[in-house]
Amino acid sequence: MFAYLIRRLLYMVPILFGVMLFTFLLFNVVNKPEIMALNILGPKADEQTIATWLHNRGYDKPLFFNTGEGAFYDSQFFHTVRQFATFNLGVSDATGEPVSAMLKRGILPSLLITLPAFALGLALSLAISLLLVFVRESLLDFWGVVLAVATMSIPITVYVIFGQWVAANLFNYFPAFGFNLEGLSTARFLALPVAIMVISGIGGDVRLYRAIFLEEVKADYIRTAQAKGASGARVLLVHVLKNGMISIITLVVASLPFLIMGTLVIENFFGIPGLGNMVVDAITTSDFALIRANVYVGSLLFLFGLLLTDLCYAIADPRIRLQ
Amino acid sequence: MNFPGTRPITPRATAPGFARCRWLVALLAALFLSGCENDPHPHALHKSRPDGSPWIVSYRNLGSDPRSLDPQVSYDTTGNVVVSQIYESLLQYNLFKTDPYELEPSLAEAMPRRIEHENGRVSYEFRLKRGIRFHDAPCFPDGKGREVTAHDFVYVFQRIADPKVECPVLSSLQEFVVGLREAFEEAQKTGSFDYDKPTGAITVVDDYTFQLHLLRPYPQMLYWMAMPFTAPVPREAVEYYHGKEGREQFRFRPVGAGPYQLDEWKRKRVIRLVRNPHYNATHFPTTGWPKEEEARFAPLAGAALPMIDEIQLSIIREAVPAWLLFRQGYLDRSGVSKDVFNTVITSGQNLSKKFEEQGISLHRDVDPTTYYLQFNMEDPVVGTNKKLRQAISMAYNQERANEIFRNGIDLKAEQLLPPGVVGYDPSFRNPYRVFNLQKAKELLSEAGYPGGIDPKTNRPLELTLDVIAMDSASRRRAEFDKAQIEQLRIVCKIEENTWPRFQEKQQRGLCQMNTGSGWHADYPDAENFFFLFYSKNFPPSGPNSSRFANAEFDALYEKMAMMENGPERAVIISKMNHLLVEECPVVFMGHPVIFSLSQPWVPRISSNAMLATGGGMKYQVIDAEERVEARHRLNQTQTWPLWTLAGVVALVVTIAIRHARRRNV
Repeated sequence: MFAYLIRRLLYMVPILFGVMLFTFLLFNVVNKPEIMALNILGPKADEQTIATWLHNRGYDKPLFFNTGEGAFYDSQFFHTVRQFATFNLGVSDATGEPVSAMLKRGILPSLLITLPAFALGLALSLAISLLLVFVRESLLDFWGVVLAVATMSIPITVYVIFGQWVAANLFNYFPAFGFNLEGLSTARFLALPVAIMVISGIGGDVRLYRAIFLEEVKADYIRTAQAKGASGARVLLVHVLKNGMISIITLVVASLPFLIMGTLVIENFFGIPGLGNMVVDAITTSDFALIRANVYVGSLLFLFGLLLTDLCYAIADPRIRLQ
Repeated sequence: MNFPGTRPITPRATAPGFARCRWLVALLAALFLSGCENDPHPHALHKSRPDGSPWIVSYRNLGSDPRSLDPQVSYDTTGNVVVSQIYESLLQYNLFKTDPYELEPSLAEAMPRRIEHENGRVSYEFRLKRGIRFHDAPCFPDGKGREVTAHDFVYVFQRIADPKVECPVLSSLQEFVVGLREAFEEAQKTGSFDYDKPTGAITVVDDYTFQLHLLRPYPQMLYWMAMPFTAPVPREAVEYYHGKEGREQFRFRPVGAGPYQLDEWKRKRVIRLVRNPHYNATHFPTTGWPKEEEARFAPLAGAALPMIDEIQLSIIREAVPAWLLFRQGYLDRSGVSKDVFNTVITSGQNLSKKFEEQGISLHRDVDPTTYYLQFNMEDPVVGTNKKLRQAISMAYNQERANEIFRNGIDLKAEQLLPPGVVGYDPSFRNPYRVFNLQKAKELLSEAGYPGGIDPKTNRPLELTLDVIAMDSASRRRAEFDKAQIEQLRIVCKIEENTWPRFQEKQQRGLCQMNTGSGWHADYPDAENFFFLFYSKNFPPSGPNSSRFANAEFDALYEKMAMMENGPERAVIISKMNHLLVEECPVVFMGHPVIFSLSQPWVPRISSNAMLATGGGMKYQVIDAEERVEARHRLNQTQTWPLWTLAGVVALVVTIAIRHARRRNV
């Protein structure tokens, strides 16, 4: 197990290097820093302003190898690699603020939305899918699936706009926008975005989990359990749920690390100052340093999620061996 | 009979789980009802002022966080809204005088004295008001803001020249302010700026008097002295807020001498400004308001500023939530976005009845901006053929474009200068901006393309129009532009560009014709527009992207730029205007009109466009009582949807349970 872990961690190194190279090519070579400077400084910026701006951020250095004066590694690429290898995420191009400080600031608001939405979404979709399995092949089951497909097909922005209009503007239950850390009543800012996230994601999950559980219900051990006199609820909640969870865990765990990264649309529309909002901001202002750092952190989290999934899989299902 | 180990099956009155959930449900319901408070704003800092009168807050919104609150750096509208509250300049725009705009002293005691030197150079002598203090801040001894002196202006002009500060207007200012270019170049060479060495831009006469030295006569310098770029900043603050040891950077922690000081800036959420208790640089004007407003403004004459105690600027990027908050009374003002235009504005361009009844008022303000279709004057086809350009100008139906794409609200542009700018002539009619297809075709024949046919190839003339295409709306616009030009039976190819690619093409002169060009006034003077066509301003160092070069125009520009306003200057401006119209390097399209709404409790003070982005906020008054009443009325909670929802859930569960009773798993 330990050797496996080390090996997997070492695999990450070339992948991360690839990510660095790819993002560097994308943001320093394909998209030139001059253009980014224009985007940040505005259309009125002239040549001298742009040159000074590029110089102060090292964007006027050679791309890969320095063939002029100084060390050969005094280049934009080596600078980026050195930064990321030492987990120094640099400073934002647009505001000059350290990226690590911006990340730290955004994690809590993001988690306050994504964690409850994740937990609530998982619990609800498990409950509903079990209910549908419980009443399978009935009219309720049929309409349940139809509803699930319908909720899946609607884009999230529609939920957001509709939710803001109905719940916040028509019925006036919640603030239509905003976020304030104010103890327990912070919940009033979170309720609507969390509800929208849960509702928009629930359809797909219900359909999937229902399919997984239906497979299990047909298995031999269920018939055995029933024959032994287990009640309907016990069969579902103990036997079906437990065995179905093996497949579900692998799906769920991989998404865990991404909870930190927040959500783009929800945070943007509700003004939640999380990491998703930061990414949208970085893209609209062409803040390449911030985008680069986000891509890097995102890929780290992704790799970490994959590793976590494999480990959980092995723990949940003893038949699986890690080689 | 009961078997051992099994429980008797007895019917139960309630569902098995409910007894356990009861408390949870009650708790959730209590939480929900207590949370039914939809005010998104943080609480005001105080309930009342020290004298017992109510503490008044203004609620506004910004589209994004400002990039920087350093007055020597900030150059965007968003930044300006905040910076112009915190920093005060030597001069300011008069609140009421808009045609033309007029400067008046702010931190300065009076308008500056102009001194002419024998070598052709010019200086301005400014005298400061006494007793003006910077905001209280920890960077000062005992935290008390010190007095603003002439030495602070020496420091400001040093900062402008410091490459590390990245002042975006340095390249303009160094053309006419003594010593800036040299100081910048030396700092570039040595890698750091020497703040102990004077730049030569300013000579301090005494603590309250200084002279600003210019390389040549340049009356527009006074407009620069009304911008935040030249507002005084305390050196102590810049050095104290260095971004280390838990201190913020100066750009995020501004310290100025303006009417408001920064209380907090929660990124992506809110910027909270609070009244500067020591502010006494300016007062409400005692004259100048329109006669019909006498009753409204006379009682305010000479009143202390600012009128409002706190400003909360919420950061709201999307238009939909901002509009919802305005409708709920949680924002004092709103723009009119495309999504809601048709519900808010009637076909006659008035406010629809529903909003009028709520006391909301609509404002229509001409933005001091001109946008146009641009020809590349270095292009061998359009650049060399004046009649061809004129023909295209006459074939372009601006009224129709305005109707389709701008809801008919924009002002048609007949000249380069927008209204309010010195030199704008409201009576001027551009002979080539009258839509006349017949005349346009005649001009095209005279241009050497009769019937649109290029005699060299015997086929229709082919032209390329570069556009910035980001969404379906801009593509529709491009199709319209193409159709306008093709009315002349010439072929117009559309080249779609991303914004970066478009910029690059402009810099390198690769477009033949393009839309998406225009200019927003930095200051309301003709020089700020005519410099767009001065031949020494070609890209990349200047903004003359039409690459217009005309010796007569250049000579007039050089003369006009150095002159004080007067009849002689007006003649030159008119000549330059006629020259541009005749040469037709661009097809003038429009001056945008901006529609905005304000709540009944925020009466409009002035329509001064130069103060619109922020400088006018210190004069604003608010009827807070009316707002409280309106918010209460607009935000009544409904309970029936909750009962409906509970009913649906109960129904589904009942069906499920009944279903389950009928069969086992």
